[in-house]
Amino acid sequence: MDEHNTPSTDDRHSKSLALLCSVFAIATCGLIYELLAGTIASYMLGDSVTQFSTIIGVYLFSMGLGSYLSRYFHKDLIAVFIQIEILVGLIGGLSSLVLFMAFAELDAFRVVLYSWVALTGILVGLEIPLVLRILKDQFPFSDLISKVLSLDYLGGLAASLLFPLWLVPQVGLMQSSFVFGVLNVLVAVWTCHLFRAQHRRPILTVQAYAVLALLLTGVAFSEVLLDFSERRLYQDPVIFARSSRYQRIVATQAQGEMRLFLNGDLQFSSLDEYRYHEALVHPGLASVASPQQVLVLGGGDGMVVREILKDQRVQHVTLVDLDPTMTDLFTDHRVFAALNNYALRSPRVEVVNADAFVWLEDSTSRYDFIVIDFPDPSNYSLGKLYTTTFYRRLAAHLAPDGVAAIQSSSPLMARRAFWCIVETVRMAGFDATPYHVAVPSFGEWGYVLASHEPFQMPERFPENLRFLNQLITPALFTFPTDMEAVPVEVNRLNNQILVRYQKEDWGQFAP
Amino acid sequence: MTAIRHLTRRDLLRLSPSVAAALAVGCRSRTGRFVDREIDTGRIAGSIVGASHEVGHRLRAGGLPEPQEIRDVPVVIVGAGIAGLSAGWKLAKSGFRDFEILELETDAGGNSRWGANEVSAYPWGAHYLPVPSSESTAVRELLEEMGMVHDLGPDGDPIYDPRHLCHAPQERLFIDGRWQEGISARELLGTAPAPGDQAMLAEFEQQVRRYQDYRDARGRRAFALPMALSSDDPDLVALDRISMLEYFDRAGWTSERLRWYVDYCCRDDYGCSLETTSAWAAWHYFCSRDEEVEYLTWPEGNGRIVRHIVERLERHLHSGMLVYRIRLTADPGTSETSTEGVDVDVLDTRTNSSVRIRARQVIYALPRFTATHVLAGYELPGIDAFSYAPWMVANLTVDRLPEGAAWDNVIYDSLSLGYVVATHQNLRVAPGPSVLTYYMPLAVPNPEVARRWMLERSWDDWVSIILGDLAPAHVGLESLVTQIDVMLWGHAMIRPVPGFLWGEPRRRAAEAFGPVRFAHSDMSGISLFEEAQYRGVRAAEDLMRDVGHAYRSSLGLAEEGV
Repeated sequence: MDEHNTPSTDDRHSKSLALLCSVFAIATCGLIYELLAGTIASYMLGDSVTQFSTIIGVYLFSMGLGSYLSRYFHKDLIAVFIQIEILVGLIGGLSSLVLFMAFAELDAFRVVLYSWVALTGILVGLEIPLVLRILKDQFPFSDLISKVLSLDYLGGLAASLLFPLWLVPQVGLMQSSFVFGVLNVLVAVWTCHLFRAQHRRPILTVQAYAVLALLLTGVAFSEVLLDFSERRLYQDPVIFARSSRYQRIVATQAQGEMRLFLNGDLQFSSLDEYRYHEALVHPGLASVASPQQVLVLGGGDGMVVREILKDQRVQHVTLVDLDPTMTDLFTDHRVFAALNNYALRSPRVEVVNADAFVWLEDSTSRYDFIVIDFPDPSNYSLGKLYTTTFYRRLAAHLAPDGVAAIQSSSPLMARRAFWCIVETVRMAGFDATPYHVAVPSFGEWGYVLASHEPFQMPERFPENLRFLNQLITPALFTFPTDMEAVPVEVNRLNNQILVRYQKEDWGQFAP
Repeated sequence: MTAIRHLTRRDLLRLSPSVAAALAVGCRSRTGRFVDREIDTGRIAGSIVGASHEVGHRLRAGGLPEPQEIRDVPVVIVGAGIAGLSAGWKLAKSGFRDFEILELETDAGGNSRWGANEVSAYPWGAHYLPVPSSESTAVRELLEEMGMVHDLGPDGDPIYDPRHLCHAPQERLFIDGRWQEGISARELLGTAPAPGDQAMLAEFEQQVRRYQDYRDARGRRAFALPMALSSDDPDLVALDRISMLEYFDRAGWTSERLRWYVDYCCRDDYGCSLETTSAWAAWHYFCSRDEEVEYLTWPEGNGRIVRHIVERLERHLHSGMLVYRIRLTADPGTSETSTEGVDVDVLDTRTNSSVRIRARQVIYALPRFTATHVLAGYELPGIDAFSYAPWMVANLTVDRLPEGAAWDNVIYDSLSLGYVVATHQNLRVAPGPSVLTYYMPLAVPNPEVARRWMLERSWDDWVSIILGDLAPAHVGLESLVTQIDVMLWGHAMIRPVPGFLWGEPRRRAAEAFGPVRFAHSDMSGISLFEEAQYRGVRAAEDLMRDVGHAYRSSLGLAEEGV
């Protein structure tokens, strides 16, 4: 007998063993892809119970579909098996990258998500029936079934332990999917090698190596491709990152909490931003007799506008924010726009992308209520927006009985900076009324109300507020001893003393 | 590709042996930093622009067309630099209408000329004005007229519009391989003082305060602006006989950094080094203004002032006019009132035809060295004492402002003065393109040699010199630069060398030549806006007094001195 054409018993035995091992690997990979999809969907869309349920459902159903479809393959089962291995490796390996990209770039994230899960499920579903059919002559049926299925479930256990204990905390979602894609393809390569005598398929070998190369490139470059290279700087998984002309926008999510960072500085946490934004908007807004025309400077995330729209007296809101990438994101992107309750899509709202100082210089409109939600004065460019010159311009745009609310850094962590803003507002001719609130993500936070007439504590607030009420509000206007006023200089364009206060004060607080 | 390196003494030797010696003072390469590398300058556009050397030289060459027609204009002002414009400003403000200003260049403004591109307006020379002291009455009047005064303080002093006071951060210095905020002596010596530095700095600062507070028997400051109002006490005047270098040597101030700082200031204001600046002029720089002086600045620099004045003088101003001959039509030796007048022969450089203007009075507001070529019969003993520093000024258009840029960005131990940022006063927050104005005075003992060397350099040479100078402090700057335009100022500034300020030639330069009066900062010996304006306004007031036109003096106390 020809040795090459009729394998020995030993050889047959080792091939069978190899196929059984691949069952274990395949099962592990399959479940990993499912868990990845569930986790990513939970990050992006929140509500992890729904996400995991629907994804497991779609995945299991698709596997069933795959098992059913296996009947249509008759010839050359080894080749089909290898082909499917390569495809699973490719689709599963790219799954994280594809889902992250779809989230950032496409409106139809869910369509992509479930299609991808279904595709993976179908391919994985094809594998077990094919292995059973390949091995059906090697073992008695009962033996075969018990071997294949027990290895399959064992693989499931391995995946379900590896995923939370090692992959998510140590490897990261993106790399995990690539690593298991690579593992999948290696199974294909190994199978190719084992069956090289009977099934010469150079095309499959080439395919396998090509996909392997692609996935390894993915391992190296996917974070760069997605702009996620600074992932390690953030405590929670990065779900979105984009560089606009002006800033770096990064969103992270963990346990239903989304955080937005601009140039690495936390802008809000979805858990407690309502405290910050309600406190910024409502004491001032509610105190204005007839707030019809409202101006918001900064605040491209639309949260301030969301709060303002709760007041039905407001007829028109002009939002002036430098960065169209921010305002577009918070207008159009489902997940981000949901955070501001789609405020920027309201017919009462007009979005202008312009540099606030220059816009104020050029505009002649007057407003009943103005909110200033600029980033902290941490550099000279931003410092200009907290100067006497800026506030004098502002005064020209504020109606005689209007109020402007200004976010003013932390009276605890940047005490001199806070009181410097208060004094600068006063120097510009305003009546300045400072107050503060505790925002867990930020710490103690401060605001200043600027008005031509002395500020009157509001009598009532809109009804659907989560933090502010009649009782607590007056307390926000008293300062404990460690946040009381300190002597400071006034911030002017030619000294920008505030930038120094801000840097030095925060520097002291940081460990 | 262009080879980029520092302009060092060694490089200059290769370029021109004579200039190497001349520039040596400014080229101390103590730090030994060399960046020799190839960079891609292919995308950088630009050229050498401006200053009409060619036209100016036609003066000396002669052979200009004879006048074909004759016009009568009662008063002619020759030159529309700050002195000429200020003379016109004062005349027009006083309701005196019958005058023309003739300017050779296309644009008025002299050293305060400016340019603009799609990114920003930018200066070609003077780029700021210190907030004027109470003696600079005419400067105060002008700034108020320009709407720069925002309010009056409790003491009645003007409060200037903060949009035009130089914003923070004002200055930064590249030293010891990094940028630090501020360039004052105190900030400079604070970083890495050598033994004795602090003591010398304290002595220096004490001397500054002493001179600032000094008042002579007649209540005059030691160093005033305009300088004509300064005290003439002998021990102060004696400072003009030595160079600032000698003063330092005598005082035992050996601190290298203190010397660099004062040398930098002298180069910045006078185009002269420590060695070639009179000690009187150097102290004037530090002591003529109050401490903590603030600066008014605009994108186009002092071009903003030029624009303001030119708008008011539009119909009086004629550009492209080469005044090639001025002749008195009566003997200047006889009594002034009997003088019939002055013939001013002018070549219109655009039509290449000449005209003779019959004037009764002329204000000659050009640098004095030109007078020997233009003013027939004029003699000023010792006119060679008027010497001028050549400057190279370049405007670099950049896609993005270098990181951390202040208004004024200085590189320690560089031949240049660094650069200022034209968009600094912009209220924008968003980063964007800008124009950097880069200054290089050729502060050498022999300006004649440096001038020739400067004019021989090609645009490529300058690009290499400029980027080579800036490269160590700005990694990858060349990839931000899209355009470099270069202006070569052959006679940018009068040089206050020892002996000049209180010497006979300058003193006599104020004397009129019959009906021809003079107005230029070189009559003050220091090339400052305040001096040019003072000389211009003063000439206009003297003229109006002589012709009996009523005016209210803008010079307040400034009735005496020369």
